[in-house]
Amino acid sequence: MPDLWELLSILAKFLLYFGVLGSVGLVLARLVFRRETEAAHRRIRGQASALALLALVAAGSGFLLRGAAMTGDASGMTDPEMLGLLWRNPPGARLLLLGSGLLLVLAGLRIAGPGLWIAGAGGLLALWSFALIGHVPDAGPLWLQALLVLHLAAAAFWIGILSPLHRLAALPEKLSAAAGLGRRFGRIAAVTVPVLIAAGIVMAWRLLGDLAAMTTTGYGLTLLAKIAGVTILLGAAALNKLRFVPAMRRGDPAAAVRLRRSIAVEWLAVCAILLVTATLTTLQHPPG
Amino acid sequence: MKPILLAGLLFLGATTAFAHSKLNTTEPADGAVLVQAPARIVLSFAKRIRLTKVRLRRGDNDAVDLDLTRHKGFATRFAIALPGRGRGLYRIEWRGLAADGHAMRGSFEFRVK
Repeated sequence: MPDLWELLSILAKFLLYFGVLGSVGLVLARLVFRRETEAAHRRIRGQASALALLALVAAGSGFLLRGAAMTGDASGMTDPEMLGLLWRNPPGARLLLLGSGLLLVLAGLRIAGPGLWIAGAGGLLALWSFALIGHVPDAGPLWLQALLVLHLAAAAFWIGILSPLHRLAALPEKLSAAAGLGRRFGRIAAVTVPVLIAAGIVMAWRLLGDLAAMTTTGYGLTLLAKIAGVTILLGAAALNKLRFVPAMRRGDPAAAVRLRRSIAVEWLAVCAILLVTATLTTLQHPPG
Repeated sequence: MKPILLAGLLFLGATTAFAHSKLNTTEPADGAVLVQAPARIVLSFAKRIRLTKVRLRRGDNDAVDLDLTRHKGFATRFAIALPGRGRGLYRIEWRGLAADGHAMRGSFEFRVK
């Protein structure tokens, strides 16, 4: 059974994933859908900043919890030997890159003009930090790490649109604008979602080694749980793209209500996927 | 709702089967029964690890942290002196940092008759 430090590490990782993907996703949404999200700039900036701060706190906590996991008690969180050991190894490099990236996101969000691009560059650094530590960098060459960053960027882009679209769909006078945003996102997602899934499949294949490991190892079973979450997410997204957004474009206000419900389901699926991923990267080890 | 329940069940099932330790072999072997307590224990890992804590629990005695001052680097094999001899169940619990940055832990036990 997982011990206390592993359970707390899973929670910290979940909050870290949520914070990083959420904040980077909102920055990407602002960069890609600049015109459609202009009116909600202040709101999006506030949300992205809060999520980046959450990620910073979660990253720091996760670093300290790793120290505790190495000694088996709270003393590891303040033990200079444990923290020094972590700092000189991949967890330290990751924390440095992640922290720098998130600080750039926070700074960029406060700067007018090119600020969003600075925040975007910070977001890329933050996503890249995940390629410095974990199962993928341990198992794969550089191209596999690049694939992980691409996977995360596509996931962030998806997560980033949820809140602005949910908000826009709540305003009856913005029905047409919400439909337009949903339609444009749907077109881009027709490329980014297959990339997200293909990258996930390639990484899973490299880590598992063969298909049988999917059902015979803890790593494979946890991955199956993640795939179940992704399936729910895809189902909701397909409904949005094929039914609700077209109905909204025809001026059906009831479709906006359904879209908002569907986005709520997507949020639940995202949280489940991130929780399973946090478990996967903390408790499991690839069989390959 | 069913897919969510299914995902939840799979998730719970998987977490009970976690295997994050890559400890290849130990001396004595896990579950071994010996006539004499060994002077040292050996832990061999598949990949390099830095051991950060190795604790011995013997019967009802208090747990003792084994001396790791000679093992401050990353390695795949660790031979650690075992203090105190005698009969009973010896349980060794170890923790460490893998070279890939993962915190790891595991345990093994043997009995001296």
